Amino acid sequence: MANLTIEDNFPAGIRVLVIDDDRTSLHVVCMMLESCGYKVTKCTSGKEGLEMLRQEGQFDIVLTDVHMPDMDGFQLLEHVGLEMDLPVVMLSVDSSHENVVKGLKHGACDYLIKPVQREELEKIGEHVITWRRANAGIFDD
Amino acid sequence: MASAPFKAQLTDLLNSMFAMDFLDEQFKELQMLEEASGPGFLTEVVTLFCGDAERIISQLDALLNEPAVDFGKVDANVHQLKGSSSSVGAKRVALVCIKFRNVCQENDKEGCIAALHEIRHEFDELRKKFQTMLQLEQQIQDLDSK
Repeated sequence: MANLTIEDNFPAGIRVLVIDDDRTSLHVVCMMLESCGYKVTKCTSGKEGLEMLRQEGQFDIVLTDVHMPDMDGFQLLEHVGLEMDLPVVMLSVDSSHENVVKGLKHGACDYLIKPVQREELEKIGEHVITWRRANAGIFDD
Repeated sequence: MASAPFKAQLTDLLNSMFAMDFLDEQFKELQMLEEASGPGFLTEVVTLFCGDAERIISQLDALLNEPAVDFGKVDANVHQLKGSSSSVGAKRVALVCIKFRNVCQENDKEGCIAALHEIRHEFDELRKKFQTMLQLEQQIQDLDSK
């Protein structure tokens, strides 16, 4: 079921949806991801991002800011966990221990503190591989 | 090369901005990204940041002038400014944001007003330097492309 051929030209071709209401931060993160070879789509609203994710098969991984006015990152994480099979990485300028733990407990595969370094973003493709391997196991008989 | 004196001026400006903590390592990351992706990226990011920061500072001013201050909204705005300023490497602005959030969490209106003055001052200083930087870059590009 899981398509692992992504590894052949890793990370090129991995499709990332980045959600952040802060346009400056969004622009920087997207440019860094593109420079690593990811295919990036930007979004400034949690609600819009969720709608885009509901159109199946468009993205391999989601990066979302935590503090957003219409729908925060934790709510988005919950929806994605219930409705879809996608890895979610959280981004925040807030490095409080409780938020990091909350994110990871609710199923985020990583929690990055802003300003994010390019090296950290380069590795998010690994989460896609790990996620797919973990979920492929569920369907093995 | 005609652009040499402008390049020297730009180098001096950036060196002084780093030395005085107007900018930090994050800005260097953005410079490397521009080198990899071609001209225009830094201009876009700096322009976006200045526009957003100006908007947030005006909003904070309005919020703090309300008879009953909504500290939750103030905090949310400062939080966003902290995020965008640290994404662009605007160290001094980001540091004042941290101070601001501390007084805001104590519902200290006077403290917030003082912090806002400081942010306004730091941002104005930074914006002037960014404007000079962008002008110099434009002049260099124009001369180098002839």
